[in-house]
Amino acid sequence: MKSLIDVKNVRKIYRMGEEKVVALDNVSITIERGEIVCLIGTSGSGKSTFLNMLAGLEKPTKGEILIGGIPIHTLNEEKITLFRQKNIGFIFQAYHLLPMLTASENVSLPLVFRGTDKKTRDAMATEALESVGLIGYEKRKPSQMSGGQQQRVGIARALVGKPKIIFADEPTGNLDSATSKEVLELMTKMVKADNQTLIIVTHDRSVASYADRIVTIKDGNILSIEERRPEENEK
Amino acid sequence: MNSQDLIGLALRNLVRRKTRTLLAVTGVIVGTCAIVVMLSIGFGMSASFQEQIESYGNLHLVNVMSSGGGNMVGAGMEEEGKFSTLNDKAIKAIEAIDGVEAVSPKIEEYLTFGVGKYIAQASVIGLRPEVMEKFNYKIQDGRLLKKTDKYEVVFGNQVPFWFYNPKKTMYAGGGDKPQVDVLTDELVMTGDYEYGQKKTSAVTDSNTIKYKLYEAEGVGVLDNPDDESAYYVYMNIETLQKIANENKKARGEAVGRDNNYNQAMVYVGDIEDVSTVSDTIRDMGLQTNSLNDWLESMKEQARMIEGVLGGIGAVSLLVAALGITNTMVMSIYERTKEIGIMKVIGANLPDIKRLFLMEAGMIGFLGGFAGVLISLLLSLLMNTVLLETMNMFLGSMGGGGSVISVIPWWVAAGALAFATAIGVIAGFSPANRAMKLSALESLRNE
Ligand SMILES: Nc1ncnc2c1ncn2[C@@H]1O[C@H](COP(=O)(O)OP(=O)(O)OP(=O)(O)O)[C@@H](O)[C@H]1O
Ligand SMILES: [Mg+2]
Repeated sequence: MKSLIDVKNVRKIYRMGEEKVVALDNVSITIERGEIVCLIGTSGSGKSTFLNMLAGLEKPTKGEILIGGIPIHTLNEEKITLFRQKNIGFIFQAYHLLPMLTASENVSLPLVFRGTDKKTRDAMATEALESVGLIGYEKRKPSQMSGGQQQRVGIARALVGKPKIIFADEPTGNLDSATSKEVLELMTKMVKADNQTLIIVTHDRSVASYADRIVTIKDGNILSIEERRPEENEK
Repeated sequence: MNSQDLIGLALRNLVRRKTRTLLAVTGVIVGTCAIVVMLSIGFGMSASFQEQIESYGNLHLVNVMSSGGGNMVGAGMEEEGKFSTLNDKAIKAIEAIDGVEAVSPKIEEYLTFGVGKYIAQASVIGLRPEVMEKFNYKIQDGRLLKKTDKYEVVFGNQVPFWFYNPKKTMYAGGGDKPQVDVLTDELVMTGDYEYGQKKTSAVTDSNTIKYKLYEAEGVGVLDNPDDESAYYVYMNIETLQKIANENKKARGEAVGRDNNYNQAMVYVGDIEDVSTVSDTIRDMGLQTNSLNDWLESMKEQARMIEGVLGGIGAVSLLVAALGITNTMVMSIYERTKEIGIMKVIGANLPDIKRLFLMEAGMIGFLGGFAGVLISLLLSLLMNTVLLETMNMFLGSMGGGGSVISVIPWWVAAGALAFATAIGVIAGFSPANRAMKLSALESLRNE
């Protein structure tokens, strides 16, 4: 396997007036294509900061981030959004669906931004909703669905454009443990099927059982990386 | 993001915030109505000016006069393209000007007409008989002049009413019907002003001067009760010139050179061309006048009034623009999180900007559209109900216009475009702001 994401000596400092907060101290990691990586750590350890930086939502204070060889920390805002549009899917803890759009419209929104025509897009959205088990919910607004259902719409939205990388920041944080399990299994299954790379943030150790590698972060540094054999992953 | 999706998404956002959208749209409606209605009153004014002036005569006509002193300059000394006198060459040159449909030299002679005991005195205009039709004279009875006519005359609408019996009354009493039928009765004409009147003992012109009496034939009466041509009689210029010369001879005056006219009439097909044609003729060294000159200056005034009224309207639309900006800024505050989501899941920055511009533009467009419709309705009401009441109170003093408000199509279209543009412009700064919002911070916004 070829390395997809290369993180070299990344440091992130937030300045709040006089005070400096070191969110990330010195992080280096290489993530390969098709890998499922789980980031765990206590609250405030820097997991979200790290993920946001990988997604180009924030720029590191120091260090380099290469995705597919592209130094995304050097891209300007306009280029980075285009890059995200083509390569990255995002799943949020709070689902973040647009309230005025139906499930199917929410799922096809990334395609709308890509300029995909309506017919293709509708077909793709239906397929994505089908694969997350939400057939019959196409016309529902987010407010008419449960948290688990909304998160499945969120997963469908992240996966619909077949991005190479999917970031998930505590995707099960708002769900009960049974639903969490369902959602996680769904995510990992879909990602494996398409050989996509998934990077998932959580505090929950049980989530880790779905990952190829578990990266523990503490106080802005990688504390340990635990390799898991791919076979152990299989259910 | 294609335009169709953009419009769809923008529409949904507007519908989602009905009250706020409605308020912003109402502002634009009021502004658009103010502009359109104000302007329409200005246009209504210039329309009634035109109507009024048209009633005085023919707006297509340009009167041309020689600039005088022409006799001093020999024909051979004239500058190329310059004419100091109105001769046949000058008439030909005028005929060649773009927009001119017909030209006729014109002379005027005051003659007395007689039908049996009845007489009437009138100014007779001599012109080329074949151009009468092109000059757009309309006939009520009989026919217009034709080329072969000599002593045949066409009466202005009012002239037949002037016939009276001088032996009985001092002047024609205003009756419903003329006392004679100028088309069938036997008609004579003469330069003698005292023809048919009681001979006085005093020594007057007609006692000593022997004017010729011509047999004439009335062939038509014009259908023009209102404009000035109602008060003239028309005949062939050559015959009239002959009569005029003979009258002069009878009075013992010198007879001028032939083919040198004092005046000519020019018919311009399109009223819009009248002023350029007038200018061209003036450049030839001749003088002109037309009702259009007057109309132009009145229109100038009307345009000024339109400008002032339109300006007042524009101010209210600018206020509406502030309303749109405010709406969009509020909308961005409310939708910060959404903007963040859209950015993270792949919206291009220009897409975000376009979305907000589209929403603002739509507010402008919807307001402009409704505003134009309402203005049309208001204009209709003004031209019916209001005009009626005004005429009732003011009677004929109301100015005589038959419209108060006129909305040309281009004003309607222009107002719609203007309102839309105002919307887009008002949306610019909020749209830029939305585009520049940090995706991550927006996401954290609750
Ligand atoms: N925008 C910011 N400004 C200042 N400090 C920040 C900012 N974002 C994060 N931090 C700080 O950086 C550190 C790392 O935050 P981060 O959000 O990455 O933690 P996390 O591991 O995701 O925690 P959690 O599990 O609670 O989500 C924290 O101390 C936090 O206070
Ligand atoms: Mg976090």
